[in-house]
Amino acid sequence: MTLRRAATILLLLMPGLGLILALIGAVVYIAVAQSFGLYSLMGESAFSLAFWSDTMGKKAFDKAVRYSIYVGVLSAIFSVILAYPLAIWLRKPFAGSVTIGAVLKAPLLVHGLVAAFLYINIISYNGLLNQVMQGLGIWDGPKRLQNDRNAIGVLILQTWKNMPFALLLLTGAVQAISDDVLDAARDLGAGSWARFRKVIAPLTVSGLQAAMVIIFIGALADFSFQTIAGPTNRQSLAQLMVNFKGRGDWHSAAVVGVSMMAIALIGSALLAVAARMIMRGRLK
Amino acid sequence: MTRARLNKILMSLVIGAAFLWLLIPFTMAVLWSLVDPSEPWTADQLLPPAMSFYRWTDMWQNSSLKPALVTSYALAPTAAVLTLCLALPTAYALGRYEFPGRELAKTLCLLPLVVPAFITAIFFSSILFQLGLAGNRFAAIVFAHAVLFLPYAIRILTVSFEQVRQDHIDAARDLGATPLARFRVAFVPALKPGISATLLIVFIQSIEEFAIAFIIGSPDVVTIPTLLYSALGQDFVRPNAAVLSLILVVPNVFLMLILERLMKSANPALSSGKG
Amino acid sequence: MIKHLLTTAAAVVAVTAPLQAQDLSAMSWDQIVEQAKAEGELTWYVWYLQDDLRRAVQAFEDEYGIEVTIPEGGDAGGNANKLLAERERETGDIDVFAWGYNDFETVDLDALFMPLTHLPEDDGRVSELTGIDGGDHVLAYWGNQTGVAYDPAHVSADDLPQTPEEFAAFWAENPGKFGFNYEKGGSGPSYYLNMLRVLSDGVDFFDGESNDEKLAGLQPGIDFFNAHADNYVVTASNADSILRVSDGELWMVPAWEDHLAGLQNRGEVRSDIAFYIPEMGMNGGGNGVAIPLNAPNPAAASVFIHWLTSPETQTMFNRTFGTAPMNAASDDSFALVPNAQREFRTPWAAQPFRGEVEQRFVDDVILER
Repeated sequence: MTLRRAATILLLLMPGLGLILALIGAVVYIAVAQSFGLYSLMGESAFSLAFWSDTMGKKAFDKAVRYSIYVGVLSAIFSVILAYPLAIWLRKPFAGSVTIGAVLKAPLLVHGLVAAFLYINIISYNGLLNQVMQGLGIWDGPKRLQNDRNAIGVLILQTWKNMPFALLLLTGAVQAISDDVLDAARDLGAGSWARFRKVIAPLTVSGLQAAMVIIFIGALADFSFQTIAGPTNRQSLAQLMVNFKGRGDWHSAAVVGVSMMAIALIGSALLAVAARMIMRGRLK
Repeated sequence: MTRARLNKILMSLVIGAAFLWLLIPFTMAVLWSLVDPSEPWTADQLLPPAMSFYRWTDMWQNSSLKPALVTSYALAPTAAVLTLCLALPTAYALGRYEFPGRELAKTLCLLPLVVPAFITAIFFSSILFQLGLAGNRFAAIVFAHAVLFLPYAIRILTVSFEQVRQDHIDAARDLGATPLARFRVAFVPALKPGISATLLIVFIQSIEEFAIAFIIGSPDVVTIPTLLYSALGQDFVRPNAAVLSLILVVPNVFLMLILERLMKSANPALSSGKG
Repeated sequence: MIKHLLTTAAAVVAVTAPLQAQDLSAMSWDQIVEQAKAEGELTWYVWYLQDDLRRAVQAFEDEYGIEVTIPEGGDAGGNANKLLAERERETGDIDVFAWGYNDFETVDLDALFMPLTHLPEDDGRVSELTGIDGGDHVLAYWGNQTGVAYDPAHVSADDLPQTPEEFAAFWAENPGKFGFNYEKGGSGPSYYLNMLRVLSDGVDFFDGESNDEKLAGLQPGIDFFNAHADNYVVTASNADSILRVSDGELWMVPAWEDHLAGLQNRGEVRSDIAFYIPEMGMNGGGNGVAIPLNAPNPAAASVFIHWLTSPETQTMFNRTFGTAPMNAASDDSFALVPNAQREFRTPWAAQPFRGEVEQRFVDDVILER
């Protein structure tokens, strides 16, 4: 019986997880091997720990790790914080709710690169925002907002692009809660905040986890938003990796790549646990 | 009563936010698409100094645009459906069974998202070439996208499967429903939002993916992002990028509406009997 | 299954013996031309100005009856990824591969490209460009130059900064009006590397050897940039620099001469933006072409490269694009900058020293801002 059950589960996992492990597993293996000096694209291959020790000893690496985690975590949090109330609001259809849902999801349809150039355009030195603020007399002169030091531009773009995704997932999760559960809570005298804490939050936690994890991984590995709108005194991990690659230092690039994978996996596990604790911890 | 009022307030808030959220970016995109090549639009001017539909007609007559549209809009739905089919069994296992290593399995499903883009681009495509898939470039891209975007599908559908209510399944069984009927009444309503979310997300990922589609497809199979990357690459022609993304918005909206229609009807919050 | 995949994966990065190259080297040039005409087509992967280049290769198609396809889109990174991804295919898609001369340094040329020794002798061709040796595998076909682009509405052509000290004076007088990129394009790196070279007396940039002593010798230059840090701006890319001059935000930025001209021709930036090469020297650069070992039409590719690097074609490129001709026998009278300024063209610092300098600059100037 248990054997049969195990076989069933394995069989079910084959087309999805199995395919991933077989194909992407091989790619991961190459990346890891490259970080140890093997599979060289420049000629000689020899096993070496030097690329790891050299790269990890670099100031730039340390800063890139911290910066990428900062962008990854904040993008995930901002996206779900904005998406949550909207999802609850849109749980039951009302006049105009379909339109609003569509408007909110529209950024999914705009390519990230286009979004980035439009954003830069709006905030540029002589751009729309600066002209409006000066026109209203709020600012005396144009401000340099592009590539701001705190990566606000990157966070805005990430949230703009990812909030709809979180909304999509959370709407599904919130809609799956049946009315009788919420009504029962109401009958027991729970206010709307209590209903959120005790009913909605625990029941939507896995949707929340999925959204946060996927957004975190994407933002952690961001290259294009960072190089267009990000601070010029910081490098993301992907940027550092591309810099190494551009110098022909494939092995150090692989070290950064493998570190990025490790951070993504560990970070998403931690985020998932944190989300569960926050959302379920309140359920007494 | 209060809910209606709340909706009104929220509605106006959302409309205000939508102005920032959408109207400004889309207006900018439209203006950019109208910039005439005779005079550049610099940021100190509120409107382009010379406007025309030159970029639109030029882009439309570009020999690659139409085949690229056809390819991309055939590719993305195919990849979305294939991904969905490949993901369903795994998501079922992850969502409905408790077994040791389940969390690990869930994490490993994220691998395609975690591997840095250029590593996937070079080595994953290389493996696909080795497996002899390049004979049919289109099919190879579909397969590559399906594998790459499996994590989205698996994670989204796992959530959906978790939300299928055991009491609904039990009730159906107690009422003597066949497995198929049980599936229809207990599973389908809970899965529908997940399925539509999966199709939408994979569709969008596929239509935006450049690196692998270019490596496998070029020079015969051209997709839309290839054109977009050439507009925003070294030659940096922003008006062309704007035209392209606006051309894309129309079919995207159309497809989204179809998807909403297909997946509507079953809102479990409504069909659960009470309220 | 997994084992099979891993062996496949291993094969992906293994080195193969050049097959087709030998076939061609045994043939006379006339035979190669004949085979090229039999092949009848070739695909040229080039990462910029595809539209213009399609027009430019028309002359080749007319002359030889061989059809040239320049694939749609992509960028340098995409093309390079494709080259690497399909290196193990028996027959690839790429016949002629164009890449920045610096970029050819990042791969093993022997393992990827066939030697071009079967081309007819021509001493005028260039395979060593700005300190980078393409050996038998790479030939230059496009010479370009970094320099400084400026807005003539704010900066007088008679009063252009020529040395690090004069640049610093410009920064101090006009804070926030000078910008350069440190990545996504070589114009900014050319600028700061040459500033460092002039400011670091006694450090030999053209010797690739790297050691702690040499790197320590960069300190005066690093201090110079840090002392003036508030007065200059760091931009995001080559294109970002030029756009911000065009938008009136910045007045002066390092740029590539041909890139600026291309953006002006496309109506992306103002046509009045001017360009010069400062006396302290800035780097020249260029693009080269090579034939991948698994090119489907190697003979046609060879004939095409022969045409591309000929004095006539290089003269035509000079006239059409303003590039520096890459054949000694061609006419270079159509340059964008006066030929007197050409003498300030400087080779790039030699690798691996150059990489170490760039890393140091990023660590101690860029990341400390």
